[in-house]
Formats: sequence, C-alpha cells, structure tokens
Amino acid sequence: MIPVEFPRRLATLLLRFAIWIAPYDTHDWGHGMLSELNHVEGNWSALLWSLGGAGVLAKHAMLAVILPGSHRRTVSSASELFSKEIPMRKPALAVIASCVAVSLLLFLAPVFRQAFRVSLAQWHDVFHVKQSFGYPSPDLELDALVKKAEQNQDAEALAFVAVRYPNATERTRLANEAVQLDPNLTWLYAVTGTAYLSPSEIDRRVSLLKQWDPQNALPHLIAAQRIGAAVAYSKEFPLGKLEERPAWEKEMDAAFQSPKLDNYLDRQKQLDHRVLSRYRLGDPFQAVSGEDWYGFPNYGVGECSLYAQSLLESGKSLESRGDRKAAFEKYWVVARFGQMMGDGAGFTFVMRKDIKEAYARLGALSQMEGNNGAAAFYAALADQFDKAADKQRLLLRNRFQGSDVSHWNAFLVRLSGLLVLSCAVLLLLCALGIVVRSRSLRLSSLRPSRLTLTLGFGAAVGSLLSSAVLFVSYWPYSELLQRFLSKGDDAGLFELSAFLRDIQLPLGSQFNLGPVSWYVASWSVVFYFWFAVTILCALAILIAVVRHFQTRPRASVPA
Amino acid sequence: MKTPRLSPQTLRVLERFIERPTAWRYGYELSRETGLKSGTLYPILMRLAKYSLLETKWVTTEDGVPPRHTYRLTPNGVELVRATFANSRAALKVRRPAFSGGRA
Repeated sequence: MIPVEFPRRLATLLLRFAIWIAPYDTHDWGHGMLSELNHVEGNWSALLWSLGGAGVLAKHAMLAVILPGSHRRTVSSASELFSKEIPMRKPALAVIASCVAVSLLLFLAPVFRQAFRVSLAQWHDVFHVKQSFGYPSPDLELDALVKKAEQNQDAEALAFVAVRYPNATERTRLANEAVQLDPNLTWLYAVTGTAYLSPSEIDRRVSLLKQWDPQNALPHLIAAQRIGAAVAYSKEFPLGKLEERPAWEKEMDAAFQSPKLDNYLDRQKQLDHRVLSRYRLGDPFQAVSGEDWYGFPNYGVGECSLYAQSLLESGKSLESRGDRKAAFEKYWVVARFGQMMGDGAGFTFVMRKDIKEAYARLGALSQMEGNNGAAAFYAALADQFDKAADKQRLLLRNRFQGSDVSHWNAFLVRLSGLLVLSCAVLLLLCALGIVVRSRSLRLSSLRPSRLTLTLGFGAAVGSLLSSAVLFVSYWPYSELLQRFLSKGDDAGLFELSAFLRDIQLPLGSQFNLGPVSWYVASWSVVFYFWFAVTILCALAILIAVVRHFQTRPRASVPA
Repeated sequence: MKTPRLSPQTLRVLERFIERPTAWRYGYELSRETGLKSGTLYPILMRLAKYSLLETKWVTTEDGVPPRHTYRLTPNGVELVRATFANSRAALKVRRPAFSGGRA
C-alpha cells in the first residue's frame, strides 16, 4: 500500500533534484514550480506537475551542456568543491570513487574476468572479430596452443586444436600430425568432419578408420556420405537415385551389419578434459566445442533413413513372394540398426517411422508363423523404442534450444556486460569533459558541473550494479566449467553450450523466454548499431561546430 | 523589437494575462485557467520572460508558506498582445462578409 503523501514527497524530491542539475539561470523558474507544488490540489496531480517541471529543467540542463552560454554555475575552486555549502559534492565524489574502485577490484577475481570476456562475445559479429566476410579468422589462443603442442610433440593437444581450428587446411594438417604422432587418435578423423576435404583425403581417412575400428559402422557411413555428396553434385541428383549406386549400397549395407555405432564423442570429451587441464585453459568456448549438435558428427543421417526404407520395401517384396525368412532378416537389420543408433549416436528420431514399421512387420510375421510370444515381444520393443525416441527428441530439443534459465542468464550477462562498458565510457567522457573544461589536470582546478557530477555518479553506480549482476549471472556457468575442468564431469556442458550460444548473439537480436520472444536477424542488429553510431558521430560533430562558433571570441566593432 | 513565435498555447496564456494586465498571476492558477500542463506552460513563460514581455516577482502570501513566483506582462508585453489581438480582430472583420454570405 502506497502512503497517501508519497506522490507529493516524490514530486518534491524530483523537482529539487531537477533544480540541482539545472543551469543557474533557470533556478528561479525551478523554485517557482516547487513553490506552486504546495498549492496543487491532489497528491498525484502534484506528481504530474513535478514531472512536467522536472522535464523542462532537465531539457535546459542538457541544452546547457550542448550549447554554452547558459551561465551554468560551476565549482570555482577546490575549497568550494568540498565546502559545506554544497553538501552533495563531497559524498557524490566519494561514492563515485568507491564504486569505480570496487568495480575495478572485481576484475581481480578470475570468474569475473571470464564473465566479462564472455559478455564481449556479443560484439564479435558487430566488429567481425571471429568472422570476416563469412570466413573464420585465426584464433590467437589456438595458435599459441599449436606452437606449444608442436614443441612438446603433444598429439592430444594437436587433436584438441584440430577439432576447433577455423581454417580447414590447417585443421587437416593438425589432424594428420596428431594421428601420425599417436595412431590411437585415428578416431579424430571421424570427429573433425569431412567438410573442405578432397574425395581422396576422405577415402584415405575412411580406410584408416576401418582398419583402426573395424567393428564400427561410422567409417562406412562417412564413405556413404561421400558417395552421396558426389551424387548430389552430379546429374543423378536428387538423392532418390542413391540406392541404385552399388558402392553406396555396399557401404550402407556394411554400416547396417556392423556390430556397433560409436561417434567417439566420449573419447573427445575425455581428451578435451585432459588437454584443458594440462595447459590450464579456462576458455569456456573451447571447452564446449560441438555440444550444440545432435551427437555430432551425424554422418549419413538422411541416407540411413533412405537405406532403411529400401530394406523395408525389399522385405515387403520378399514377403509377397512368400520368402518370409529373408523378409524377416531385412526387417530385423533395420530394427537392430535403430537400436544401435539409439545407444550410440542419439538421433533415432530421424528414422523413427522406419524402425517402428520394421518392428510392426516383425510382429506381423511372427504372428503369421503362430509365434504370439515373439509378436508380443516385438510390440513391446516397438513401444519401448517409441518412448525412448520421444525422450531423446525432447532431450535433444532442450539441449539445442537451451532452457529458459540459460536464455535469461545469457540475456542478463549480455545486458550487464553492455552496461559495464557503457558506464565506463560515460565515466571516461565525464572525466574528459571536466579536464577539457578546466584545461588542467590539477584536482584543485577541476570544475565539474552539477550535470557532469550527476552523470558520473549514475555511471559509477550503474557500473557497480551491472558488474554485480554480471558476476552473479555468470557464476553458475563458471561452476559447470570448473566441474568439467577439475573432475571431467561433462553433465553440465550442454547447459553451458546453450548459454554460450545465446551469448554470441548481439543484444536485441533474439529473445526467447516463455511467452515473450522475438527474433531480429543478427546482421540487422549490426546494421542498426552502425547506423546509430554514424548518426551519433554526426550529431557530436554538429554540436562541436555549434559550440565552437558560440564560444569563439568576437572582434569588437570600433564605433 | 524581437518577438517570440506565438503558438496557439502561447496565445491562450497571453489571453489570460490581458484580461487583467496589471495583476500578478501564479503558475498553477495559469495552468488551471489555460488547461496547460506545467511542462507546456513554463517553457512559454520562460520564453516570454526571455523576450522581456513578462516580468517575474517573488511574493510572500502568508506565514509559514514559501514565497510564490508570480508573473505579469511588461508594458512591451501588453503592447504586443494588444497589437496581436487587434490584428486578429481586424483580420476577422475583413473576412466576415465573405463567410457571412451577405447576411451581415
């Protein structure tokens, strides 16, 4: 419940503050408005009266900054600066100094430094830091790590960089060097992907992977994907004709017959943990490489479905010809591969329809054979698979989209990071303004105007508050990272990854929190930003020119 | 003599002043009579004072109540307002036959 007198008290305070920042020649008017406040009927009407008056005075205060000649009264000497007659100045300066000192002290905490650095990621698109015209720029930290790794002949560190390095040629070289140093890292060829590689290089890698891990379906899927890509670029496009290619069919058949499907993500996480700990790397962006994809690498996901459909068609054809045993085998291959995908790669939802159909056909065939127990077993497996696929889809969606908490924290970190920067810039401008006005660096000759003091005060307090919000919002993610770095616990990496994905978007481009959501393309936000910067620069030049002509000494005209 | 731009709101304020040219008026009283908010009224008063068309004075009304800022038109202000309103009336008289359609 708001006290009845509260609006009138607020109105008085507001007007008093407005008079305080207003130029000297408007003080009489301000006090006039204040005295009238005693005669305004109604407390809320008094507040409205005060708001209008304060607006007028604030406008004059701003104009006094832009256009000199409003006869603003400033502190004329150090004695007046700390005099008892203007009690606001000394506490204000003390508060400004304390806030700035505490904000700077926060930078001594590694978590805060990391939080600030992470909050700067939103500027990468604006200043093309990580990307330049669509091409990734070299990463200085990774370059330094490559040098160390090459000096130490550290295959694991080279593998760590190879997964992350933005340049494809360098990525290939590093992967080859790592595998050459330690053949146990051959799995790296599957993790680094096949983008920008020549067909012969892909074939070489597939051959090595097949030798190194003959039980795994993954090398066959990589080979099938290469053939599929070749078809996509040839006249045989669309992919519907893939199954006519014997080589593709051979690889897919081998993949479906393989006893396991391992995408090596567990090995990669273990290696990441070891390298990050060994080199004491604390960059969260390096720790979470690849979490935002569906169990990346997802070779041949679409082609698996295509091949499964061809197997189902073939099974139905065999069934219609009366060869139930051969049909059963076809259906079983599809169902088994579906189970294997669910265990290893985690993208069963792509083939959900095909696998359910395979179970249904297996059940129907068992029933035809009079084996009701087996039919019930397949029905139970289908049901189990369906539920698991549902759960997996939900899990992947959550991992990919992130939770409301991560969206909200990412928003807070971006906003508070932006405010810290803005407040710092405003403080610097205030300090610069005072020095330029006073034309001296001596404290005794500095003459801050009341508006400058108010702006400086606001910026200092804002800087402290936004630093605190930045620290608190980032803290949980720092804990998740520390858990991975110290114990190898990667359970929180998906949450961290979703958070960092949001962090990299410029503020204002996307917001997704429950019912409140909007989307503006990042490049639009970048355009608006630079447009606003251009307009502000033009305004600043205009004000400087106006001030120059207003303050230059005029030659006296002889009578 | 330089004169400010006479917006409809400024004319409304001047109309109130010219009713009793010698009387000192309060800000809140003017606001109520003209229906203008403080954010509109005070810039007008400040502009009129800047052009020396308005004079201001602090007056003490009763014990314990802070003095009030009061406003009155200067002789220049009264002259300008009278001329402005006389011109308006003349313009209206010139136009009237055209609007009245010969019935006047």
